[in-house]
Amino acid sequence: MKVSLVWSSPKPEMTIAVAMRRCYSTKVIEDIEAELEKKGPEYWKFLLAKCLQDKSLDVLEHYTMSLLVEGANEVEVSRLVRRFPYIHATHLKETDWLFSVNARTLVELWKDSEGKSFAESVVAELDRKKVSPLFNELAFGDVIHAH
Amino acid sequence: MRIKLLYNTDVEALKKVLDMKGVPFDPEAMMDHVVYMFEIEDCSRVTTHQLVRHRVASYDQESQRFSAATKEGVVTPPSIQTNEAASRAYEEALQTVYSAYEKMVTAGVPKEDARYILPTAIKTKLVMTINARSLMHIVWQRTALQAQWEIRELATSLRDLAREATPELWTKIMER
Repeated sequence: MKVSLVWSSPKPEMTIAVAMRRCYSTKVIEDIEAELEKKGPEYWKFLLAKCLQDKSLDVLEHYTMSLLVEGANEVEVSRLVRRFPYIHATHLKETDWLFSVNARTLVELWKDSEGKSFAESVVAELDRKKVSPLFNELAFGDVIHAH
Repeated sequence: MRIKLLYNTDVEALKKVLDMKGVPFDPEAMMDHVVYMFEIEDCSRVTTHQLVRHRVASYDQESQRFSAATKEGVVTPPSIQTNEAASRAYEEALQTVYSAYEKMVTAGVPKEDARYILPTAIKTKLVMTINARSLMHIVWQRTALQAQWEIRELATSLRDLAREATPELWTKIMER
């Protein structure tokens, strides 16, 4: 199975941080974004680590991506989408599919024996494209992986 | 009420993949793959209670556990605004409720407990991420004449922003 990233939310870590701050701030969105830009990636990383450690994974749902999945048969795909109903899969042709998934589902796939292999392909592709490096390190690195 | 589209899926990126595979672009088939993230500000909790009944979406909302409530931050329905007697009763009730809220907070009651007395008219802010299929369902349900005025206003704005950003997907939607 080959996974290629088609599109992902812009600035994924900042998007997750915006959702987290929305819960605890009375400010308008532009002020939250300006505050997060000013504090920079180290602060986004702090917030991300907190949400992963507290298992407050709902904020990860705002980071979404679309993927081209090639070489996957219908049985494999059906098994995956039945187990993870928030994966959206559209058949393109033969063994090619368009998938859409959010980062929460990706974390859940990673922790599941049947989803792990697909999650590893997605994370490898994100790493290859240098998309969400902070998130990838925290969610799929040794610390959280062991957790 | 203020609504802002924070991002949406790039439909051109999806089209490029379809082209590469020789598959024609079908808006219906792409509705699960096109996602929008919105910021919604200053609508009432009455309306967000209605909104979150649409479950295939992701919501993160300003918490009343930690932020203080103020009497100025409430939505007043037009039917009350335009009725002098009702408007007076509304204002008096708000004075009583907020005075009690402030007294409780001053007395050391945590905001998360003092908020039990607050009205659902209180203004709130939230982010919502939703795919086009679920958003179209909201638009169908909540722009209907039977829907309440505030969520109609919200659903209309969501539809307009989504349609402007991704017209390819919204051409099939019939105007109500």
